[in-house]
Amino acid sequence: MMTNTKVKEKIGKSAFTAAAVLCIIAVAAIFVFLIVKSLPAFKKIGFFDFLLGDNWSPDKGDTYAGESLAGSYGIFTMIVGTLAATVGALLLGGVFGYFTAVFLAYFCPRRLKRVFSSVINLLAGIPSVVYGFFGIVFLLSKLSVIAPNNGSGLLATSIILGIMILPTVVSLSRTSLEAVPRSYYEGAVALGATHTQAVFKTCVPAAKSGITASLVLGVGRALGETMAVVMVAGNSPTYPNSLFNSFRVMTANIVMEMGYAGEVQEGALVATGVVLLLFVLVVNLLFSLVSKKTVRAAVKPKNKTVVRKKTFHGVARLRDRFGNIAYKLKTSYIGRAFAIGAGVLSGGILVLVIGFIFAQGLPHLLKNPKILYGKFEFGSENITIFPSIVSTLMAVGLSLLIAIPIGVMTAIFLNEYARKENIFIRIVRSAIDILSGVPSIVYGLFGMIAFVGLLGGKSSILAGSLTISIMLLPTVVRSTEESLKSVADSLREGSLALGAGKMRTIFKVVLPSALPGILSAIILSIGRVISESAPFMYTMGSVITATPSSYLDSGATLAVALYRLAGEGWYMQEAYATAVVLIALVLGLNLFAEWIGGRLRKKLKGTEQ
Amino acid sequence: MKIAEQLFGQNISVKNANLHYGEFQALKNISIEIPEKEITAFIGPSGCGKSTFLKCFNRMNDLVAGCKIEGEFRIGETDIYAKETDVNALRKNVGMVFQKPNPFPMSVYDNIAYGPRTFGVRKRAELDGIVESSLRAAAMWEELKDRLDKSALGLSGGQQQRLCIARALSVKPKIILMDEPTSALDPISTGKIEELCDELKKTTTIVIVTHNMQQAARISDRTGFFLLGKLVEYGDTDKIFTSPKDERTERYITGRFG
Ligand SMILES: Nc1ncnc2c1ncn2[C@@H]1O[C@H](COP(=O)(O)OP(=O)(O)OP(=O)(O)O)[C@@H](O)[C@H]1O
Ligand SMILES: [Mg+2]
Repeated sequence: MMTNTKVKEKIGKSAFTAAAVLCIIAVAAIFVFLIVKSLPAFKKIGFFDFLLGDNWSPDKGDTYAGESLAGSYGIFTMIVGTLAATVGALLLGGVFGYFTAVFLAYFCPRRLKRVFSSVINLLAGIPSVVYGFFGIVFLLSKLSVIAPNNGSGLLATSIILGIMILPTVVSLSRTSLEAVPRSYYEGAVALGATHTQAVFKTCVPAAKSGITASLVLGVGRALGETMAVVMVAGNSPTYPNSLFNSFRVMTANIVMEMGYAGEVQEGALVATGVVLLLFVLVVNLLFSLVSKKTVRAAVKPKNKTVVRKKTFHGVARLRDRFGNIAYKLKTSYIGRAFAIGAGVLSGGILVLVIGFIFAQGLPHLLKNPKILYGKFEFGSENITIFPSIVSTLMAVGLSLLIAIPIGVMTAIFLNEYARKENIFIRIVRSAIDILSGVPSIVYGLFGMIAFVGLLGGKSSILAGSLTISIMLLPTVVRSTEESLKSVADSLREGSLALGAGKMRTIFKVVLPSALPGILSAIILSIGRVISESAPFMYTMGSVITATPSSYLDSGATLAVALYRLAGEGWYMQEAYATAVVLIALVLGLNLFAEWIGGRLRKKLKGTEQ
Repeated sequence: MKIAEQLFGQNISVKNANLHYGEFQALKNISIEIPEKEITAFIGPSGCGKSTFLKCFNRMNDLVAGCKIEGEFRIGETDIYAKETDVNALRKNVGMVFQKPNPFPMSVYDNIAYGPRTFGVRKRAELDGIVESSLRAAAMWEELKDRLDKSALGLSGGQQQRLCIARALSVKPKIILMDEPTSALDPISTGKIEELCDELKKTTTIVIVTHNMQQAARISDRTGFFLLGKLVEYGDTDKIFTSPKDERTERYITGRFG
């Protein structure tokens, strides 16, 4: 009987360890598959010709066996394009996000704070195809008035990307701003500084590293963004010479051509993915370098004495600074105006995106609700998104079934079995860090090479779900681990002291207390599956006309359907309606998450009698 | 399945115990005989190793990475650090009550039933019986019988701690370890728990760590005074408090250091 428990403990531990190993395998597989697939192309094209050539004109007939290349495969224009778009996004979204964060931390009336936080959360949750769609129907049409072309190009891309990195920049900057000890501020004000001066001259510099880290993270996001950019950049393989000329980024290159690529071309596209991945990895490395020292220190100061010492130091430094500045500037309205303006504007953007799409799409949806559930008839005018709804639900179901158990088990391994750092644990952690940084289009590439390849070369919901599952892992692991960490050790001790084994302790005491975190992981994952499109395009397929009847069928998710509908330009009403559905789903999930989170927390605190 | 039984006695016997946390030696050559069905109190200044020593008896120190234990620990005839000793069975027989009440975030009923369920009790009637008898033993039945299905986290601190005692009693331990069980409680709750200890010692050996000199004097039969990882003096509580042999003990109990 006792041996029975022992066996259970052993099995449990092995299962948790196996889940963690799976995370490592996933990362290794991504690298191996991409490299194996791109190496011949690098060889055939020539490493430097590929990176530095500025002529991209592939020939479908090119093969690795062929004597020479008829096509030309240089991605330098796209590297430049990617960097230009990223800088543009940083200039708009970064600066804007910085001021918004300052606004939220120091200028926002307390009551509005919650509203603004929800707004930022929502902005983060809106699918990138919806941003792209908004870009097409709103931004491009407005820009085309002043542009020599239809409005697409660097400016439109920077604006859309800027909006998209805004939430990333805001939330991390704000966290580090709010972690600045209150005494800094008080010290400054006590020396005669105004509120604005104290904020900008004292608190902001103290949070400098956190803000820097948030910008780096934003850069990572902008580099890897795919669908939204594809929809507004124009995508000609040329340099972005002006604000308004069609140009192409690396992610777009993959999406545009992967569907019908020849042999060398396909290799070159995978190679583009490898280059992109390297860019992102470097940025992530930079992020962990910047954030390691300071953000973590700022976010959770290890012990109080250190903070206090720093405060004295800070106050001393302040005195010198304000000796000069306080006299010169009595008040500075500019900073305040910027901060408040930024806060209001980001709220405005959300209202604009959602409002515009709803205003256009909702009437159509209400007039013609059949679009949601009607059967799709090929060649008729009756486009419906019913097949996509089915595909989306199937993908959500299966990917949760895969990602949640593996993710939760990995988190359990990390938090319950691996309290002492060792090499293996460090590898698991880096694997998860890397997974969270891999751009979605690279997952798409990997899924196409690995899963679609394994499943007989045909895209299917199974392949798509497997692909997105890997992508969900880091979110699930982190969210679960956070909540496992928040379970008091005294509960574990209480259970163990009663003679319960580790497995029982985990399943009966720890996991139930960690439920809010797991639930939020589930909700985040659902939102992710609904929003993502790049990983699905070539793994699940983009056919919107057939309702899948098994997991081996292909099918387009709603987000992919929106891309198709908007891209073809024929079915704008249907595209609007799809966008409305997507936004409504994301909104609904957000509200649900807040509601259920609050309820569960209450229940666990025992206030609910 | 039957409740796991393994023969443990009720008296504790330790010979030459040494314990290291990494490089730091927390217990230095401690030997002690703790008789059955009595209350033994451990006193001493903060950090002297009382909790550490207490946790050796139910091997909770096994959970601490880098903790090395030497010496002989016997409960009854059983060597509790022997390879063949089942830790879970040991902990079932040696219950523990912690400094801060730690009820599980579940109902009162499920808190008490947790232990028996761990050891395979599934029948509702049997569980009901155990829940009632455990709560009665902790003098809480009247208080709680109408709110068995309410969350245990809604109870007051004192109630929570007594619930934790009831929870510990649910698996019929032969020894109960208490690590400053009343330090987070008000005087009335403290009084109740002290009465409870007095009642429990009819059947159970109790080892209690306390910072409260009066408490030790009031409830314990024997007292051990610890200082810097050593057991300085150990004997009948009356003797320790009226005529301590060691000068350091005297200084401590008269409040002149610690
Ligand atoms: N997990 C641990 N790792 C390293 N050192 C520890 C650990 N637990 C306790 N110690 C050290 O061992 C010594 C004894 O600690 P212990 O908790 O047993 O003291 P105590 O007598 O119970 O004190 P208190 O009255 O404050 O509870 C202390 O110096 C403590 O810092
Ligand atoms: Mg202690």
